Amino acid sequence: METANNKRKVAIICSHGGLDEVYPALILGNAARQSGIDAFVFFTFWGLDAITTSKVDHLHVNLAGNAASGMPTILGGLPGMESFAASMMKKQMTELDLPTVKEMLQILEESGAELYACELAMKMFKRTREDLLPQVKDVITAGDFYDLAEGAQIIFT
Amino acid sequence: MDTTDTNKALAQVLARLDAIDARLDQIVDRQKKSDELFSEMTPILRDVMGTATTRLDELDKKGYFAFGREALGVADRVITGFAPEDVRQLGDAVVGILQTVRALTQPNVLEIASQASEVLERSEQAEPLGLIGMVRATRDDDVQKGMAVMMDVMRHVGRAARAVRDEHRPSAADEKKAKLAGVLGPRKKKALGVERQLPPTVAPRAAAPANLGPPAACAVPSSKPREVAAVIDGVAFGADGHLVDPKVWTEEIAVKVAAVQGVELDESRWAVVRFARADFVATNVSPNIRRITQGTSLATKDIYTLFPKAPARTVARIAGIPKPAGCI
Repeated sequence: METANNKRKVAIICSHGGLDEVYPALILGNAARQSGIDAFVFFTFWGLDAITTSKVDHLHVNLAGNAASGMPTILGGLPGMESFAASMMKKQMTELDLPTVKEMLQILEESGAELYACELAMKMFKRTREDLLPQVKDVITAGDFYDLAEGAQIIFT
Repeated sequence: MDTTDTNKALAQVLARLDAIDARLDQIVDRQKKSDELFSEMTPILRDVMGTATTRLDELDKKGYFAFGREALGVADRVITGFAPEDVRQLGDAVVGILQTVRALTQPNVLEIASQASEVLERSEQAEPLGLIGMVRATRDDDVQKGMAVMMDVMRHVGRAARAVRDEHRPSAADEKKAKLAGVLGPRKKKALGVERQLPPTVAPRAAAPANLGPPAACAVPSSKPREVAAVIDGVAFGADGHLVDPKVWTEEIAVKVAAVQGVELDESRWAVVRFARADFVATNVSPNIRRITQGTSLATKDIYTLFPKAPARTVARIAGIPKPAGCI
Protein backbone atom coordinates (compact mmCIF):
# COMPACT_ATOMS: atom_id res chain seq x y z
CA MET A 1 0.00 0.00 0.00
CA GLU A 2 2.77 2.42 0.96
CA THR A 3 4.71 1.56 -2.17
CA ALA A 4 1.69 2.41 -4.30
CA ASN A 5 1.41 5.73 -2.47
CA ASN A 6 5.06 6.45 -3.14
CA LYS A 7 4.23 7.20 -6.75
CA ARG A 8 1.02 9.07 -6.06
CA LYS A 9 0.83 12.82 -6.36
CA VAL A 10 -2.09 15.23 -6.35
CA ALA A 11 -2.32 18.72 -7.80
CA ILE A 12 -5.14 20.74 -6.25
CA ILE A 13 -6.45 23.89 -7.93
CA CYS A 14 -8.19 26.30 -5.58
CA SER A 15 -10.05 28.88 -7.67
CA HIS A 16 -12.64 30.23 -5.22
CA GLY A 17 -12.20 32.38 -2.14
CA GLY A 18 -15.19 31.37 -0.01
CA LEU A 19 -14.50 29.79 3.37
CA ASP A 20 -16.45 26.72 2.26
CA GLU A 21 -14.49 26.60 -0.98
CA VAL A 22 -11.01 27.05 0.41
CA TYR A 23 -11.25 24.47 3.21
CA PRO A 24 -11.90 21.45 0.94
CA ALA A 25 -8.77 22.24 -1.07
CA LEU A 26 -6.66 22.60 2.08
CA ILE A 27 -8.12 19.53 3.78
CA LEU A 28 -7.61 17.41 0.67
CA GLY A 29 -4.02 18.61 0.43
CA ASN A 30 -3.38 17.91 4.10
CA ALA A 31 -5.08 14.50 3.94
CA ALA A 32 -2.88 13.63 0.96
CA ARG A 33 0.26 14.46 2.92
CA GLN A 34 -1.03 12.52 5.92
CA SER A 35 -1.53 9.52 3.65
CA GLY A 36 1.99 9.83 2.27
CA ILE A 37 0.87 11.30 -1.05
CA ASP A 38 2.80 14.22 -2.55
CA ALA A 39 0.60 17.28 -2.88
CA PHE A 40 0.68 20.83 -4.10
CA VAL A 41 -2.03 23.48 -4.20
CA PHE A 42 -2.35 26.06 -6.97
CA PHE A 43 -4.29 29.18 -5.94
CA THR A 44 -5.88 31.15 -8.75
CA PHE A 45 -8.57 33.81 -9.19
CA TRP A 46 -10.52 34.30 -5.95
CA GLY A 47 -8.57 31.45 -4.43
CA LEU A 48 -5.72 33.97 -4.13
CA ASP A 49 -7.58 35.53 -1.20
CA ALA A 50 -6.75 32.43 0.86
CA ILE A 51 -3.02 33.13 0.58
CA THR A 52 -3.20 36.93 0.72
CA THR A 53 -2.09 38.19 4.12
CA SER A 54 -4.75 40.88 4.42
CA LYS A 55 -7.62 38.63 3.30
CA VAL A 56 -6.96 35.22 4.80
CA ASP A 57 -8.65 36.00 8.11
CA HIS A 58 -11.72 37.54 6.46
CA LEU A 59 -12.92 34.80 4.12
CA HIS A 60 -16.68 34.62 3.84
CA VAL A 61 -19.27 32.02 2.99
CA ASN A 62 -21.09 32.53 -0.28
CA LEU A 63 -24.83 32.31 0.40
CA ALA A 64 -26.43 33.76 -2.75
CA GLY A 65 -27.15 30.99 -5.20
CA ASN A 66 -26.16 28.32 -2.71
CA ALA A 67 -29.10 25.94 -2.65
CA ALA A 68 -27.67 23.96 0.26
CA SER A 69 -27.43 26.95 2.58
CA GLY A 70 -31.14 26.61 3.33
CA MET A 71 -31.57 30.34 2.94
CA PRO A 72 -33.46 32.06 0.12
CA THR A 73 -31.05 33.70 -2.31
CA ILE A 74 -32.71 37.08 -1.81
CA LEU A 75 -31.86 36.95 1.92
CA GLY A 76 -28.36 35.62 1.32
CA GLY A 77 -27.55 38.75 -0.66
CA LEU A 78 -28.33 41.12 2.20
CA PRO A 79 -25.34 43.03 3.55
CA GLY A 80 -23.85 41.36 6.59
CA MET A 81 -25.39 37.96 5.89
CA GLU A 82 -22.15 36.52 4.53
CA SER A 83 -20.16 37.67 7.54
CA PHE A 84 -22.85 36.23 9.78
CA ALA A 85 -22.75 32.86 8.02
CA ALA A 86 -18.95 32.90 8.06
CA SER A 87 -18.84 33.58 11.79
CA MET A 88 -21.35 30.78 12.42
CA MET A 89 -19.25 28.41 10.36
CA LYS A 90 -16.05 29.50 12.10
CA LYS A 91 -17.68 28.84 15.46
CA GLN A 92 -18.60 25.31 14.46
CA MET A 93 -15.12 24.74 13.10
CA THR A 94 -13.64 25.83 16.41
CA GLU A 95 -15.87 23.31 18.15
CA LEU A 96 -14.46 20.60 15.89
CA ASP A 97 -10.93 21.87 16.64
CA LEU A 98 -10.48 22.63 12.96
CA PRO A 99 -7.45 24.91 12.41
CA THR A 100 -8.03 28.33 10.83
CA VAL A 101 -7.20 28.79 7.16
CA LYS A 102 -3.94 30.47 8.15
CA GLU A 103 -2.99 27.58 10.43
CA MET A 104 -4.02 25.06 7.79
CA LEU A 105 -1.67 26.74 5.30
CA GLN A 106 1.14 26.58 7.82
CA ILE A 107 0.43 22.92 8.56
CA LEU A 108 0.38 22.22 4.82
CA GLU A 109 3.71 23.91 4.28
CA GLU A 110 5.28 22.12 7.24
CA SER A 111 3.94 18.79 6.06
CA GLY A 112 5.79 19.28 2.78
CA ALA A 113 2.89 20.29 0.54
CA GLU A 114 3.80 23.13 -1.80
CA LEU A 115 1.66 26.22 -2.28
CA TYR A 116 1.72 28.18 -5.53
CA ALA A 117 0.02 31.37 -6.68
CA CYS A 118 -1.18 31.99 -10.22
CA GLU A 119 0.80 34.69 -12.00
CA LEU A 120 -2.05 35.84 -14.22
CA ALA A 121 -4.48 36.12 -11.31
CA MET A 122 -1.83 38.06 -9.35
CA LYS A 123 -1.64 40.59 -12.20
CA MET A 124 -5.43 40.74 -12.47
CA PHE A 125 -5.89 41.47 -8.79
CA LYS A 126 -2.80 43.71 -8.71
CA ARG A 127 -1.08 41.76 -5.98
CA THR A 128 2.63 41.36 -5.44
CA ARG A 129 4.68 38.62 -3.81
CA GLU A 130 4.76 40.81 -0.67
CA ASP A 131 0.96 40.63 -0.35
CA LEU A 132 1.12 36.84 -0.05
CA LEU A 133 1.75 34.72 3.01
CA PRO A 134 5.33 33.51 3.49
CA GLN A 135 4.17 29.90 3.11
CA VAL A 136 3.63 30.43 -0.64
CA LYS A 137 6.57 28.83 -2.43
CA ASP A 138 6.35 30.56 -5.79
CA VAL A 139 4.25 32.46 -8.30
CA ILE A 140 3.86 30.30 -11.40
CA THR A 141 2.07 30.24 -14.76
CA ALA A 142 -0.42 27.68 -16.03
CA GLY A 143 2.39 26.10 -18.04
CA ASP A 144 4.56 25.71 -14.94
CA PHE A 145 1.55 24.15 -13.24
CA TYR A 146 1.43 21.38 -15.86
CA ASP A 147 5.18 20.80 -15.51
CA LEU A 148 4.75 20.41 -11.75
CA ALA A 149 1.62 18.30 -12.10
CA GLU A 150 3.31 15.71 -14.30
CA GLY A 151 2.05 12.31 -13.22
CA ALA A 152 -0.29 13.87 -10.65
CA GLN A 153 -4.01 13.56 -10.25
CA ILE A 154 -5.56 17.00 -10.67
CA ILE A 155 -8.36 18.13 -8.38
CA PHE A 156 -10.25 21.33 -9.16
CA THR A 157 -12.15 22.97 -6.32
CA MET B 1 -49.61 33.38 -0.07
CA ASP B 2 -51.20 33.66 -3.55
CA THR B 3 -49.85 35.57 -6.53
CA THR B 4 -51.85 38.80 -6.04
CA ASP B 5 -50.66 39.06 -2.45
CA THR B 6 -47.09 38.48 -3.55
CA ASN B 7 -47.45 41.12 -6.29
CA LYS B 8 -48.86 43.60 -3.79
CA ALA B 9 -46.03 42.93 -1.40
CA LEU B 10 -43.49 43.30 -4.19
CA ALA B 11 -45.08 46.58 -5.29
CA GLN B 12 -44.80 47.85 -1.73
CA VAL B 13 -41.16 46.84 -1.54
CA LEU B 14 -40.48 48.60 -4.85
CA ALA B 15 -42.28 51.75 -3.71
CA ARG B 16 -40.19 51.76 -0.56
CA LEU B 17 -37.01 51.26 -2.55
CA ASP B 18 -37.98 54.26 -4.71
CA ALA B 19 -38.44 56.35 -1.59
CA ILE B 20 -35.01 55.27 -0.29
CA ASP B 21 -33.47 56.10 -3.67
CA ALA B 22 -34.97 59.62 -3.64
CA ARG B 23 -33.73 60.16 -0.12
CA LEU B 24 -30.25 58.97 -1.07
CA ASP B 25 -30.19 61.48 -3.95
CA GLN B 26 -30.99 64.22 -1.46
CA ILE B 27 -28.22 63.08 0.84
CA VAL B 28 -25.70 62.99 -2.01
CA ASP B 29 -26.73 66.54 -3.04
CA ARG B 30 -26.31 67.82 0.46
CA GLN B 31 -22.95 66.04 0.72
CA LYS B 32 -21.79 67.79 -2.46
CA LYS B 33 -22.74 71.19 -1.07
CA SER B 34 -20.95 70.59 2.18
CA ASP B 35 -17.92 69.34 0.26
CA GLU B 36 -17.72 72.71 -1.54
CA LEU B 37 -17.93 74.51 1.77
CA PHE B 38 -15.18 72.32 3.18
CA SER B 39 -12.87 72.91 0.24
CA GLU B 40 -13.23 76.65 0.77
CA MET B 41 -12.76 76.35 4.49
CA THR B 42 -9.76 74.00 4.37
CA PRO B 43 -6.98 76.60 3.75
CA ILE B 44 -8.49 78.89 6.38
CA LEU B 45 -8.83 76.07 8.89
CA ARG B 46 -5.24 75.03 8.29
CA ASP B 47 -4.02 78.53 8.87
CA VAL B 48 -6.01 78.82 12.05
CA MET B 49 -4.68 75.49 13.31
CA GLY B 50 -1.10 76.44 12.47
CA THR B 51 -1.41 79.76 14.28
CA ALA B 52 -3.07 78.14 17.25
CA THR B 53 -0.21 75.68 17.64
CA THR B 54 2.51 78.34 17.50
CA ARG B 55 0.58 80.58 19.86
CA LEU B 56 0.21 77.83 22.44
CA ASP B 57 3.85 76.93 22.01
CA GLU B 58 4.85 80.53 22.67
CA LEU B 59 2.67 80.67 25.74
CA ASP B 60 4.29 77.52 27.00
CA LYS B 61 7.75 79.04 26.53
CA LYS B 62 6.88 82.29 28.22
CA GLY B 63 5.52 80.40 31.15
CA TYR B 64 2.92 80.98 33.78
CA PHE B 65 3.38 84.73 34.34
CA ALA B 66 3.02 85.77 30.72
CA PHE B 67 -0.02 83.58 30.54
CA GLY B 68 -1.40 85.13 33.72
CA ARG B 69 -0.95 88.63 32.32
CA GLU B 70 -2.89 87.65 29.22
CA ALA B 71 -5.57 86.07 31.39
CA LEU B 72 -5.84 89.27 33.45
CA GLY B 73 -6.51 91.22 30.25
CA VAL B 74 -9.20 88.77 29.37
CA ALA B 75 -10.63 88.97 32.86
CA ASP B 76 -10.74 92.76 32.58
CA ARG B 77 -12.88 92.56 29.50
CA VAL B 78 -15.03 89.86 31.04
CA ILE B 79 -15.71 91.91 34.17
CA THR B 80 -17.04 94.81 32.11
CA GLY B 81 -19.27 92.54 30.03
CA PHE B 82 -20.58 89.94 32.47
CA ALA B 83 -22.23 89.69 35.83
CA PRO B 84 -20.16 88.25 38.76
CA GLU B 85 -22.16 85.00 38.61
CA ASP B 86 -21.25 84.49 34.93
CA VAL B 87 -17.57 85.03 35.68
CA ARG B 88 -17.59 82.46 38.47
CA GLN B 89 -19.04 79.92 36.07
CA LEU B 90 -16.48 80.78 33.40
CA GLY B 91 -13.66 80.45 35.93
CA ASP B 92 -14.85 76.95 36.75
CA ALA B 93 -14.88 76.04 33.06
CA VAL B 94 -11.56 77.63 32.07
CA VAL B 95 -9.38 74.67 33.08
CA GLY B 96 -11.62 72.30 31.14
CA ILE B 97 -11.54 74.53 28.07
CA LEU B 98 -7.75 74.76 28.16
CA GLN B 99 -7.41 71.02 28.59
CA THR B 100 -9.64 70.46 25.59
CA VAL B 101 -7.64 72.88 23.45
CA ARG B 102 -4.41 71.21 24.54
CA ALA B 103 -5.76 67.76 23.71
CA LEU B 104 -6.93 69.00 20.31
CA THR B 105 -3.53 70.43 19.46
CA GLN B 106 -1.48 67.35 20.27
CA PRO B 107 0.74 66.49 17.24
CA ASN B 108 -1.01 63.19 16.52
CA VAL B 109 -4.45 64.80 16.65
CA LEU B 110 -3.28 67.59 14.36
CA GLU B 111 -1.76 65.01 12.03
CA ILE B 112 -5.15 63.31 11.69
CA ALA B 113 -6.87 66.64 11.16
CA SER B 114 -4.35 67.68 8.52
CA GLN B 115 -4.69 64.36 6.67
CA ALA B 116 -8.46 64.66 6.74
CA SER B 117 -8.32 68.23 5.42
CA GLU B 118 -6.02 67.10 2.60
CA VAL B 119 -8.65 64.57 1.58
CA LEU B 120 -11.30 67.29 1.65
CA GLU B 121 -9.08 69.41 -0.57
CA ARG B 122 -9.09 66.67 -3.18
CA SER B 123 -12.82 66.17 -2.83
CA GLU B 124 -13.67 66.93 -6.47
CA GLN B 125 -11.67 63.85 -7.52
CA ALA B 126 -13.82 61.59 -5.37
CA GLU B 127 -16.24 59.36 -7.25
CA PRO B 128 -19.90 59.53 -6.23
CA LEU B 129 -20.69 56.59 -3.96
CA GLY B 130 -23.93 54.59 -3.88
CA LEU B 131 -25.28 52.26 -1.24
CA ILE B 132 -23.41 49.26 -2.68
CA GLY B 133 -20.20 51.28 -2.88
CA MET B 134 -20.66 52.27 0.74
CA VAL B 135 -21.03 48.65 1.79
CA ARG B 136 -17.98 47.70 -0.27
CA ALA B 137 -15.97 50.52 1.30
CA THR B 138 -16.69 49.14 4.76
CA ARG B 139 -14.63 46.06 3.88
CA ASP B 140 -11.49 48.18 3.86
CA ASP B 141 -9.53 47.81 7.11
CA ASP B 142 -8.81 51.55 7.32
CA VAL B 143 -12.46 52.45 6.78
CA GLN B 144 -13.42 49.97 9.50
CA LYS B 145 -10.92 51.53 11.87
CA GLY B 146 -12.22 54.98 10.99
CA MET B 147 -15.78 53.84 11.61
CA ALA B 148 -14.78 52.42 14.99
CA VAL B 149 -13.20 55.77 15.93
CA MET B 150 -16.27 57.69 14.72
CA MET B 151 -18.59 55.38 16.63
CA ASP B 152 -16.51 55.86 19.75
CA VAL B 153 -16.65 59.65 19.32
CA MET B 154 -20.40 59.43 18.77
CA ARG B 155 -20.84 57.29 21.87
CA HIS B 156 -18.95 59.83 23.96
CA VAL B 157 -20.87 62.75 22.48
CA GLY B 158 -24.13 60.93 23.19
CA ARG B 159 -23.07 60.11 26.74
CA ALA B 160 -22.04 63.70 27.38
CA ALA B 161 -25.28 65.00 25.88
CA ARG B 162 -27.30 62.71 28.10
CA ALA B 163 -25.29 63.74 31.15
CA VAL B 164 -25.96 67.41 30.37
CA ARG B 165 -29.65 66.75 29.85
CA ASP B 166 -29.96 64.65 33.02
CA GLU B 167 -28.28 67.40 34.99
CA HIS B 168 -30.93 69.87 33.90
CA ARG B 169 -34.17 67.99 34.31
CA PRO B 170 -35.72 64.61 33.69
CA SER B 171 -37.64 65.02 30.44
CA ALA B 172 -41.04 63.61 29.63
CA ALA B 173 -39.41 61.07 27.33
CA ASP B 174 -37.22 59.89 30.20
CA GLU B 175 -40.20 59.39 32.45
CA LYS B 176 -41.86 57.41 29.69
CA LYS B 177 -38.73 55.32 29.26
CA ALA B 178 -38.48 54.69 32.98
CA LYS B 179 -42.08 53.55 33.01
CA LEU B 180 -41.46 51.25 30.06
CA ALA B 181 -38.31 49.88 31.65
CA GLY B 182 -40.30 49.08 34.74
CA VAL B 183 -42.64 46.99 32.62
CA LEU B 184 -40.15 45.45 30.21
CA GLY B 185 -37.15 45.00 32.48
CA PRO B 186 -33.62 46.27 31.75
CA ARG B 187 -32.69 46.78 28.11
CA LYS B 188 -29.85 44.85 26.56
CA LYS B 189 -26.81 46.97 25.93
CA LYS B 190 -25.35 46.71 22.45
CA ALA B 191 -21.64 47.23 21.91
CA LEU B 192 -21.54 49.32 18.75
CA GLY B 193 -18.35 50.09 16.90
CA VAL B 194 -16.20 48.05 19.22
CA GLU B 195 -13.10 47.12 17.31
CA ARG B 196 -13.13 43.55 16.17
CA GLN B 197 -10.67 41.26 17.90
CA LEU B 198 -8.63 39.45 15.30
CA PRO B 199 -7.84 35.84 16.11
CA PRO B 200 -4.19 35.21 16.95
CA THR B 201 -2.21 34.30 13.85
CA VAL B 202 -1.14 30.86 15.03
CA ALA B 203 -2.08 29.16 18.26
CA PRO B 204 0.91 28.86 20.55
CA ARG B 205 2.34 25.38 20.75
CA ALA B 206 2.31 23.51 23.98
CA ALA B 207 5.83 23.40 25.36
CA ALA B 208 5.32 20.08 27.10
CA PRO B 209 2.74 17.29 26.99
CA ALA B 210 -0.23 19.33 28.09
CA ASN B 211 -3.54 18.34 29.53
CA LEU B 212 -5.39 17.87 26.27
CA GLY B 213 -9.15 17.88 26.24
CA PRO B 214 -11.13 15.09 24.64
CA PRO B 215 -10.37 14.56 20.95
CA ALA B 216 -12.47 16.49 18.42
CA ALA B 217 -15.72 14.84 17.41
CA CYS B 218 -14.55 14.42 13.81
CA ALA B 219 -11.58 12.33 14.94
CA VAL B 220 -13.67 9.57 16.51
CA PRO B 221 -13.25 6.40 14.43
CA SER B 222 -16.05 4.22 13.12
CA SER B 223 -16.92 1.23 15.24
CA LYS B 224 -16.71 -1.35 12.48
CA PRO B 225 -15.62 -4.80 13.70
CA ARG B 226 -12.00 -5.42 12.73
CA GLU B 227 -11.06 -8.46 10.68
CA VAL B 228 -7.82 -10.37 11.00
CA ALA B 229 -5.91 -10.26 7.70
CA ALA B 230 -2.63 -11.83 8.78
CA VAL B 231 -1.09 -13.44 11.86
CA ILE B 232 2.67 -12.87 12.18
CA ASP B 233 4.55 -14.48 15.10
CA GLY B 234 1.22 -15.03 16.84
CA VAL B 235 0.20 -11.35 16.53
CA ALA B 236 -2.95 -10.55 14.53
CA PHE B 237 -2.84 -7.64 12.05
CA GLY B 238 -5.74 -6.08 10.13
CA ALA B 239 -5.71 -5.45 6.40
CA ASP B 240 -4.60 -1.85 7.01
CA GLY B 241 -1.45 -3.03 8.81
CA HIS B 242 -2.62 -2.05 12.31
CA LEU B 243 -2.85 -4.39 15.28
CA VAL B 244 -6.29 -5.94 15.60
CA ASP B 245 -6.15 -5.86 19.40
CA PRO B 246 -4.22 -2.88 20.84
CA LYS B 247 -3.89 -4.67 24.19
CA VAL B 248 -1.39 -7.29 22.91
CA TRP B 249 1.13 -4.55 22.01
CA THR B 250 4.65 -4.77 23.40
CA GLU B 251 7.77 -2.71 22.77
CA GLU B 252 9.26 -5.64 20.80
CA ILE B 253 6.29 -5.56 18.43
CA ALA B 254 6.81 -1.79 18.06
CA VAL B 255 10.46 -2.27 17.06
CA LYS B 256 9.56 -4.94 14.51
CA VAL B 257 6.69 -2.92 12.98
CA ALA B 258 8.94 0.16 12.83
CA ALA B 259 11.55 -1.85 10.93
CA VAL B 260 8.91 -2.89 8.38
CA GLN B 261 7.81 0.77 8.10
CA GLY B 262 11.42 1.75 7.44
CA VAL B 263 11.96 3.89 10.55
CA GLU B 264 14.46 3.33 13.31
CA LEU B 265 13.06 3.98 16.77
CA ASP B 266 15.39 6.48 18.44
CA GLU B 267 14.49 8.40 21.58
CA SER B 268 12.59 11.22 19.85
CA ARG B 269 10.51 8.75 17.84
CA TRP B 270 9.86 6.70 20.95
CA ALA B 271 8.53 9.83 22.62
CA VAL B 272 5.96 10.29 19.87
CA VAL B 273 4.99 6.60 19.93
CA ARG B 274 4.62 6.65 23.73
CA PHE B 275 2.45 9.77 23.56
CA ALA B 276 0.22 8.16 20.90
CA ARG B 277 -0.05 5.00 22.98
CA ALA B 278 -0.85 6.92 26.20
CA ASP B 279 -3.37 9.16 24.43
CA PHE B 280 -5.12 6.11 22.97
CA VAL B 281 -5.26 4.40 26.34
CA ALA B 282 -6.72 7.55 27.90
CA THR B 283 -9.27 8.44 25.20
CA ASN B 284 -9.72 5.25 23.15
CA VAL B 285 -9.03 7.36 20.03
CA SER B 286 -5.84 7.28 17.98
CA PRO B 287 -4.30 10.77 17.85
CA ASN B 288 -3.98 12.50 14.48
CA ILE B 289 -1.01 14.68 13.56
CA ARG B 290 -2.59 17.83 14.98
CA ARG B 291 -3.16 16.15 18.31
CA ILE B 292 0.37 14.78 18.36
CA THR B 293 1.75 18.30 17.79
CA GLN B 294 -0.47 19.60 20.57
CA GLY B 295 0.48 16.83 22.97
CA THR B 296 4.24 16.82 22.32
CA SER B 297 6.44 19.86 21.88
CA LEU B 298 7.01 18.96 18.23
CA ALA B 299 5.96 21.03 15.21
CA THR B 300 4.19 19.49 12.24
CA LYS B 301 7.46 19.79 10.34
CA ASP B 302 9.33 17.73 12.96
CA ILE B 303 6.72 14.98 12.86
CA TYR B 304 7.12 14.73 9.09
CA THR B 305 10.91 14.63 9.50
CA LEU B 306 10.70 11.79 12.03
CA PHE B 307 8.06 9.84 10.09
CA PRO B 308 8.23 11.08 6.48
CA LYS B 309 5.47 8.92 5.01
CA ALA B 310 1.97 9.25 6.47
CA PRO B 311 3.18 10.14 10.01
CA ALA B 312 0.02 9.62 12.07
CA ARG B 313 -0.65 6.25 10.46
CA THR B 314 2.95 5.11 10.84
CA VAL B 315 2.96 6.15 14.49
CA ALA B 316 -0.36 4.37 15.07
CA ARG B 317 0.96 1.17 13.46
CA ILE B 318 4.10 1.24 15.61
CA ALA B 319 2.08 2.09 18.74
CA GLY B 320 -0.25 -0.83 18.03
CA ILE B 321 -3.38 1.32 17.90
CA PRO B 322 -6.03 1.67 15.17
CA LYS B 323 -5.67 3.86 12.10
CA PRO B 324 -6.42 7.47 13.08
CA ALA B 325 -9.69 8.80 11.73
CA GLY B 326 -10.60 12.36 10.80
CA CYS B 327 -9.41 14.78 8.17
CA ILE B 328 -6.92 16.99 9.96
